[in-house]
Amino acid sequence: MRSPAADRRRPTLWDGLTALLVATAAFLLLAALQSEPGESLTAAVTLDGEILAEYRLEEITQPVTLTLDELSYPLTLLVEGDGVSILHSDCPSQDCVHTGKITQAGQQIICLPNRLIVSLTGTHDLDFDAVTG
Amino acid sequence: MKRILSVFLFFILLTGCAAPAAQTEPSQAQFFSMDTVMTVRVYDGPGEEAVQAARQAVEELDGLLSRTDADSQLSALNAHAGDGISVPLDSRVTELLAFAKSVSQLLPGDFDVTIAPVMDAWGFTTDQRQVPDPQTLAGALSLVDSGKLEVDKEASTARLEAAGMEVDLGAVAKGYAAGQAAAAIRDAGSSSALLDLGGNVTALGRKEDGSAWQVGVKDPQDTAQTLCVLSMEDQTASTSGGYERYFEENGIQYHHIIDPKTGYPADSGLLSVTVVSENHMLADALSTALFVAGEDAALEFWRSRTNFELVLCTADSRVVVTQGLEEGLRPTGEERGYTYEIARR
Repeated sequence: MRSPAADRRRPTLWDGLTALLVATAAFLLLAALQSEPGESLTAAVTLDGEILAEYRLEEITQPVTLTLDELSYPLTLLVEGDGVSILHSDCPSQDCVHTGKITQAGQQIICLPNRLIVSLTGTHDLDFDAVTG
Repeated sequence: MKRILSVFLFFILLTGCAAPAAQTEPSQAQFFSMDTVMTVRVYDGPGEEAVQAARQAVEELDGLLSRTDADSQLSALNAHAGDGISVPLDSRVTELLAFAKSVSQLLPGDFDVTIAPVMDAWGFTTDQRQVPDPQTLAGALSLVDSGKLEVDKEASTARLEAAGMEVDLGAVAKGYAAGQAAAAIRDAGSSSALLDLGGNVTALGRKEDGSAWQVGVKDPQDTAQTLCVLSMEDQTASTSGGYERYFEENGIQYHHIIDPKTGYPADSGLLSVTVVSENHMLADALSTALFVAGEDAALEFWRSRTNFELVLCTADSRVVVTQGLEEGLRPTGEERGYTYEIARR
């Protein structure tokens, strides 16, 4: 026995609405799956494991300096909307200054003599799990 | 009803298109040890227990091997240099000393575990980096001779023949620590982990989804970028490059990897050397030695062995990758002018 729907040759209003609903849902869902989330970076400054300061870089509209005079080797950080760098350090090695500006999630600036680490974390997934070097 | 069912089925199918589930958050710890920063991430099993076991293994070694800690066993060995006493040492220390000495013999002139007096003359192990005067450098260089390091693994003792000699295990200790930490993680019941011991990356097992770990190799000319990404499983990638620690004097840059032949920073035409091996200690030692040796000697040595692979970054922006790393290799530096070559046996 053939169903009434099978007998119909022309699409009804319901068919159109269903097709529209499916197309809209597919578009919204695929757009959500494919969209890259905006990179939202957070810089954390830790001293021997304790967090000294945190900055959400998207909220930094003017460069911010953070001077840490109480460290064994005083240093000054520069926090900008697109990254963090060490402006100045009193330590003799200057390795942290040489690191330059870090701008991507997963990057760190390390000051060994002070046991200080500046880490960037973010929403954007890196396409690797670790970095050697 | 059929229309409702078809819409329902459509959504069910679409959920199958969703991005794969993100990797579970690992148990992890970041800590200072061996004069560097170390990160341990464990992704399965009793994660926290495994992380702590790994950390303990590393910190124990640091206590034994530190040259700046006067109470360490290495300091005891150095303090007895030239007095004829064979110093009793932990078996881990003698194992590491014997290995380091064997690398010195394997690559004479490119690696020497008794380089410490020269490192001190440059100030790389102190707070004051400087270009040493020729007399000081010549004096320090005369003390570099791993042939005068006597190691007795059976008795677990070691002796330095000449007064003033000193051993520095900085070029091998992190690799040894990686092996010890990996064993501690496995003993704790975990099999999927990533260790970053001061830039030496050890990939333990595979990722939760069964795929290999993806490890980037830092671009020595732009450390925010990578040269390439490698696929790794139960291996360590160790990288040495002049960009890691250096200072400038009179406009000239001096880095910390000293050529034992000259006493000066190695100038072999390489910007960085990455060694990948299942032997964690070997990866660490060879990255330093082959950086000093240069491209041709490094590739010649690679062709004579089967237990490691290389990524060489040359001063003329070539990235030479040995064939064992070809599968899964992803070059990432073309836009910065790098060209890529596969070296074959």
